[in-house]
Amino acid sequence: MDARFLLLAGATAVIASPACATVYMSVQQAQAMMFPGAKFTDVSRALTDDEVSKIENMSDANVLNKRINAWKVSTGGWFIVDEVVGKHEFIPFALALDSNGAVKDIEILEYREAYGGDIRKPEWRAQFTGKKNGATLKDGDDIQNISGATLSSKHITDGVRRLLATYAVVLAY
Amino acid sequence: MLSSWPTERAKPLLGTVVRVRARGLDMATTHQALDAAFQEIAAIHALMSFHEDGSDVSRLNREAWQSPVTVDPRTYEVLVHACALSAMTEGTFDVSVAPQLVARGHLPKPHGAPEPDRSAIWRDIQFLPDMQIKFAKPLWLDLGGIAKGYAVDRAMDVLKAYAPTQACVNAGGDLRVTGDGRERVRLGSDSFPSQDFPIVDIHEGSLASSCGSVSGRRYERSGLHIDARSGNTALPVQFVSVAAPRCMDADALTKVVMARGACAAKVLARFGAQAVVHDAQFGWREVKGHA
Repeated sequence: MDARFLLLAGATAVIASPACATVYMSVQQAQAMMFPGAKFTDVSRALTDDEVSKIENMSDANVLNKRINAWKVSTGGWFIVDEVVGKHEFIPFALALDSNGAVKDIEILEYREAYGGDIRKPEWRAQFTGKKNGATLKDGDDIQNISGATLSSKHITDGVRRLLATYAVVLAY
Repeated sequence: MLSSWPTERAKPLLGTVVRVRARGLDMATTHQALDAAFQEIAAIHALMSFHEDGSDVSRLNREAWQSPVTVDPRTYEVLVHACALSAMTEGTFDVSVAPQLVARGHLPKPHGAPEPDRSAIWRDIQFLPDMQIKFAKPLWLDLGGIAKGYAVDRAMDVLKAYAPTQACVNAGGDLRVTGDGRERVRLGSDSFPSQDFPIVDIHEGSLASSCGSVSGRRYERSGLHIDARSGNTALPVQFVSVAAPRCMDADALTKVVMARGACAAKVLARFGAQAVVHDAQFGWREVKGHA
């Protein structure tokens, strides 16, 4: 193992990606991954006010997007795409349900980790660069990980619970 | 068919977002490797979750005070390791502090478990043959952080079997890297000044971080660290990152450094580990292991 600690300060260059943003896969890729070889019938539609209140009662979660993005899968089951609000950002994810409406798989489609609202402002980022212990952060340096206070996945679990209620109210008729 | 396969995927597991990456493999093999790694993490989640009634941890908390409970070899391994670290730190690290975490509202009360004996500590966990565990007194285990680190290690073992040129498993900031080059990791927390931009470059190793601060709201997000000897919450150090060969050790040692600060150097040395800490009084310091 080799680990080096660097505390960067001072300013000459720009850190390209201080927040870690990763697009993992498209909706089509998630479909192919979760239900290989299947055909998908789009059943997406707006939710009625009555459905929204039923879903909210059943899941104890607020329905922010009054629309369901769902596909019926030819090999059995359902594919749903939704998003939840993370600490700072929306987190889109795909949920695969089997033909009984049980969770088969979850894939996060896109994920950003950021700490502190300032980090996304270009002027804030521009003040950092630096050099210590012989290492430099250059424009284009790719910081792909953040280690800090553990981010909870509670918002995603809450989102899955809300979608299971949505399934019960809207799809499982 | 997919035209390309992602080399990294993310799933909600272990109470956080787990990201797994493997490079240098063909599309089909990448798919198999990432699937296998996620399966191993999901299995450890199912075995060691404090929240799930069917987990080994929940069964132990309910039944092990009455009669021996047979657990998965992986649960046994984590418990043996946890108790070895407890012995090494004279109980600073102790997986039987769950009652204090429950009392403070950071964990739910375990279903069906008897009230824990207030005097129970890690020494009351007895290791019997054939993967059986017995408690000398009613106690509540929580393997939270150490199980997360262990899951990262096991997932990395799974990935390595596919021989990627580079791989990374990151469970919400508990991470392990292998292969070409260095992984650049930013240390992120609300507990140190926002103008600081601390970085750890890591090669063939693990990193874990913990944050303890006086704000109740931050505890909720970052977990609470209790010095099992005094029952006090760990406050002197507000942010700790530990680099170690194994992620299980890195995570567990953050608690030891949180409680002991620079006095943890000797323990760090035994694991080939080093730490960086931040507190309001002294700012950033490195704690390198020495015997």
